[in-house]
Amino acid sequence: MDPNALFLQLLTGLQLGAIYALIALGLTLIFGTLGFVNFAHGALYVIAIYAAVTVAANTNFLLAIILVPALLFAIGVAFERGLIRHFYTRPHTDQILITFGLAIVVEELMKWIFGANNIPFTLPEWGSGLMVFYSDWSAVPAVPVFQEAPSLWVPFIEGFVTYQFWRVVLIAVSLVTVAGLFALLQFTRFGLVVRAGMRDPEMLRFLGINIAQKFAIVVGLGAAIAGIAGVFGGPITQVTPGVGMALLVPSFLVVVIGGMGSLSGALIAAILIGMALSFSAEIANLQQIVVYLIAVVVLLVRPRGLFGKKGVFE
Amino acid sequence: MAMADAMERPEATRTGGRPFFSCRNVESYYGESYIVQGVSFDIAENEIVALLGRNGAGKTSTLRTLARAQEPHLTAGEIWLDGQALHSMKAYQAARAGVQLVPEDRRIIPGITVEENLILAQTVEPRGWEIAQIYELFPRLGERKRQEANTLSGGEQQMLAIARALARQIKLLLLDEPYEGLAPTIVEEIEKTMEVIRRSGITTIIVEQNALAALRIADSAVILDMGEVVFRGTAQQVLDSEDLREQYLAV
Ligand SMILES: Nc1ncnc2c1ncn2[C@@H]1O[C@H](COP(=O)(O)OP(=O)(O)OP(=O)(O)O)[C@@H](O)[C@H]1O
Ligand SMILES: [Mg+2]
Repeated sequence: MDPNALFLQLLTGLQLGAIYALIALGLTLIFGTLGFVNFAHGALYVIAIYAAVTVAANTNFLLAIILVPALLFAIGVAFERGLIRHFYTRPHTDQILITFGLAIVVEELMKWIFGANNIPFTLPEWGSGLMVFYSDWSAVPAVPVFQEAPSLWVPFIEGFVTYQFWRVVLIAVSLVTVAGLFALLQFTRFGLVVRAGMRDPEMLRFLGINIAQKFAIVVGLGAAIAGIAGVFGGPITQVTPGVGMALLVPSFLVVVIGGMGSLSGALIAAILIGMALSFSAEIANLQQIVVYLIAVVVLLVRPRGLFGKKGVFE
Repeated sequence: MAMADAMERPEATRTGGRPFFSCRNVESYYGESYIVQGVSFDIAENEIVALLGRNGAGKTSTLRTLARAQEPHLTAGEIWLDGQALHSMKAYQAARAGVQLVPEDRRIIPGITVEENLILAQTVEPRGWEIAQIYELFPRLGERKRQEANTLSGGEQQMLAIARALARQIKLLLLDEPYEGLAPTIVEEIEKTMEVIRRSGITTIIVEQNALAALRIADSAVILDMGEVVFRGTAQQVLDSEDLREQYLAV
């Protein structure tokens, strides 16, 4: 295979994986800590992209980066307090029904407010342009379009290739978010309480900890990550009411393949699915099939997914 | 809190006529089943009470009700601790009010270290012993502080469960079968800990299958049967009455 084409397909796989990872991360975080299956997670993404496109159009993009995840955090907390905490002990099917219903309501609401058609999402100036990957800078023509965005030396490609800079930003944001969430859960007191709360919420209450409040924050975090996904993914995916559902299905598949509740599993599965989609792009009609084929193979070999733990979702 | 063994054990005291701890007609249910059926008793400050009764008499259920667990859920009655209305609190609020339950199955949190289990206990005020003090009393826990907590032996897990309670400021300690399933040598070690608890004057309810072991350290006893109090008196009275022991304790 031509190394330049291979490199571009790898980048595309990473970029697709990045957006699935951001959605799947919130899903699996909420499932792993609360045992709650949130089919409204795609709807949170929809709210995020519309909020982002509105804020970005009326003020500026940097403000959207701060405001949208904050807004989604608040929505997540309200969502937990008002609805999902009443469903923790209910069967997963009830949880799926209620959140799926909510997702449809949100989708219709957005259709009513913003219309069903795609709204153009203009990239900020600092994020537009093409990123140049080169092994030999002298091969890169000295035209302005190649000077706008950063460039990177890559050893094995021939001459140079270009890739939309924003997509690289999305990959980077996704990696930072995953690392940040991991560090929060692994290295802070809050993370310790949440991890312990996953194992034995009642014992934590006996130690004076208001674990319900921490769980609300967890849902808020999951929603805030959907907010991050919306701000950075919106310019790439599309801004339509239906995009939430379109993303939810493969993201849920990512969660299942990675192992319900496993953060690292979700990340690896997201990259796997992203790569599979990227490398099967030429056989357009087979793309969806490839994704499900991977799911079937993984689940046949490892019924709990790549990193699934015993007793989860059983 | 000062290191406990440096202190003289205070005498059991009644404060201003109002008992330090009191539960009145407490009733609770596991789902639909009526378990704790109108339990009432008082405890003076610094008193150690043995809560006794046969298997299924409702000892664990009573402790969980007092600690305000979600299940069994309280449906009637009042629970007062040092002027605080536990009956209108949730479990985490009762814990902040000074109730510490060391549950039957110890409930060491798996997947985290020994020290992290202790840190969890000190996440919220009011805190009790410093972690360093705890390691002085339980050197075995100090040696294993980085070990994953669920890899501890049964006896060590019981020590950790008690240590975790001591890491919080305690007004009422609820111990559910601290000697259960432990080898005699380990029981001796836990008994030494009990002696420290006794000397530091922590008001305690201890549930034990082994009534004699509980009565050795208790001042008084409550006997439960079918979710009701059938005896309230001194530890000595239970030790002296063969009738009581035969009828309700099977010893
Ligand atoms: N989770 C539960 N759901 C329903 N009923 C329960 C539950 N736990 C206990 N019970 C019932 O409540 C009654 C009292 O049980 P409890 O565990 O309080 O007794 P106990 O005195 O602690 O017994 P043991 O000495 O065996 O520990 C029993 O009849 C028991 O079957
Ligand atoms: Mg019991």
